[in-house]
Amino acid sequence: MSAGSDRRRAEAAQPASTGGVNPSGQTTGLFDDLRDLYQEVILDHGRKPRNFRRLDDATATARGDNPMCGDRIELFVKQAPDGTIAEAAFQGRGCAISTASASLMTETVTGKTAEQARALGAAFRELAMTGTCPDCGAALADDMERLAPLSGVHEFPSRVKCATLAWHTLNAALDGAQEASSE
Amino acid sequence: MPPFLGGGDMISVVTFEKSEWAPVPAKFEAGTPAIIEAVGLHAAIDYVTAIGMGAIEAHERALVDHATARLAQVPGLTLLGAAQDRGGVFAFGLDAAHPHDLATLLDRAGIAVRAGRHCAEPLHARFGLENGTTRASFGLYTTKDEIDLLAQALAEAREFFK
Repeated sequence: MSAGSDRRRAEAAQPASTGGVNPSGQTTGLFDDLRDLYQEVILDHGRKPRNFRRLDDATATARGDNPMCGDRIELFVKQAPDGTIAEAAFQGRGCAISTASASLMTETVTGKTAEQARALGAAFRELAMTGTCPDCGAALADDMERLAPLSGVHEFPSRVKCATLAWHTLNAALDGAQEASSE
Repeated sequence: MPPFLGGGDMISVVTFEKSEWAPVPAKFEAGTPAIIEAVGLHAAIDYVTAIGMGAIEAHERALVDHATARLAQVPGLTLLGAAQDRGGVFAFGLDAAHPHDLATLLDRAGIAVRAGRHCAEPLHARFGLENGTTRASFGLYTTKDEIDLLAQALAEAREFFK
């Protein structure tokens, strides 16, 4: 056991044993600093995912798997004759982050052309990996703001793939590839 | 069978025309042998021998009893397995949290666990646990205080996700 991990454990044990109310009157908990990762919007979409259903009249579908952690989604996209995404929905199972990301994605890509959706996906992957997207531009600003609650994953490298699985799967669906993996 | 790898100590004669391999097992053990690993194993054997296998077993049994009692008090926690002579390995589910979300929280509390299906996907399907489980492992270096911290962190994690 290294000195580093001993110190870390000692620090961790402190809030665990004293969790309650801090001097400024706020409730303190062991996991307060994880609220950036698990913002209320993430927890909400994780518990109650939007567009969580099959689309029987989908024009494109794909399955996304993350074999390392078992996350799995089935994505349904219904494109209008001009290619615009009229509806997007998903089913599957996964952690709060992957479920919330898929839920937010189905909301943000509705009304987009395939090219716009791909561009948004590329920008989102940049956001998830680095926490920012300097080259995203004004055209994506509104959508990126909606997806910003997921930017906290960039500090958790092992969780980035949870957030990006849905977007990999969307690309696969638009490519007609039917299967995607975020591994 | 030809060797898949060349290196030190795996040949007997080398000429421009051909090479002759050393007799097995040397033929298949090219390069520097696992000297560091062997020395490390020796040190590990000395270490556990000095403590005594009986003492290690008694410590682990005490941890198992303590963990079984403490984890049973965590609301919403389902412990897998109830073998009489179980080792210090506990896989569990927590109703409010996916195993990977839970692992991220526990990591922040300084507790290393494994989350997922633990190379046993069919078994998890058999128990209807497609999302997997979270698994904590205890050994001779684990203390009861650490198990108490785990139980407390699990209870707080449940509140976090509720």
